[in-house]
Amino acid sequence: MPLTSPEKRALLESVPLFRDCHSEVLDRLAEMTAEIAFDADAPIVQQGQVGNGLYIVVRGGASIVAGSDELARLGPGDFFGELSVIDQQPRTATAYAVGDTVCLALASWDLVSVLEQDPQLAMNLLKVLAGRLRAADAQLRH
Amino acid sequence: MNQQQILDSLAGLALFSDLDRPRLQAVAHTMSEESFPSGQRILRQGFSGSGFFVILEGEVVVRVDGGDVAVLGKGDFFGEISLLLGEPPIADVVAVGPVRALHLAGPELRDFLLDYPQVMYRMLQAVGRRLDRANRRS
Repeated sequence: MPLTSPEKRALLESVPLFRDCHSEVLDRLAEMTAEIAFDADAPIVQQGQVGNGLYIVVRGGASIVAGSDELARLGPGDFFGELSVIDQQPRTATAYAVGDTVCLALASWDLVSVLEQDPQLAMNLLKVLAGRLRAADAQLRH
Repeated sequence: MNQQQILDSLAGLALFSDLDRPRLQAVAHTMSEESFPSGQRILRQGFSGSGFFVILEGEVVVRVDGGDVAVLGKGDFFGEISLLLGEPPIADVVAVGPVRALHLAGPELRDFLLDYPQVMYRMLQAVGRRLDRANRRS
């Protein structure tokens, strides 16, 4: 059975990315996100494609793969796909479903719109990207 | 540099390009202008507490464990990653020739970005592009 808006809102509220976001922004997110199911091992987004949005894992997981390397394995509450929305470059990695997986998808223009509406969300995202950048820089040096 | 000149150079930088004149004026008041002689270390690897810098004139080199990894020039900024993460810098940033920069004290960055969401969005895009490049290298 598909998630209702209040159920989506409750899920979104528990995602660290949306911590301290305005209540109206969470309401809008619950309306704007679409629930999408993926079979085990199905590609959710593909390297090289134009980014069409952000994905939040609700159930199951995602394996983030670039070339033949697994960069990360994500679980419920984690998100991916934000980078190609922000810098408008093609996807840098492919995400495969780990087991049967359900995601909430937020379209690019909706993400940009909520980022502009709520600076706290932009701050949360900026901190996540800063952490990933530092981890990537550290990895390159070792 | 007088206030008008600072304002003119600010207006030309990508980070501030979405701000109207009054907001630019407010930024120029909030950040302080600083000059560094050639060779001065502006950020020190492993030492926190230096702040956020936007280069107005000149160039700096980003140095990790003694090796140069990047050169930054007018309009580029540095120091924000450490401040956002609450961790010390992982690189030295050293002036190559005389440098003029705008400086914001570390503890003020968070409120500054929340006050100027357009600047934060530009920063988000810049950090996203850097992450994108880092991912493609790995």
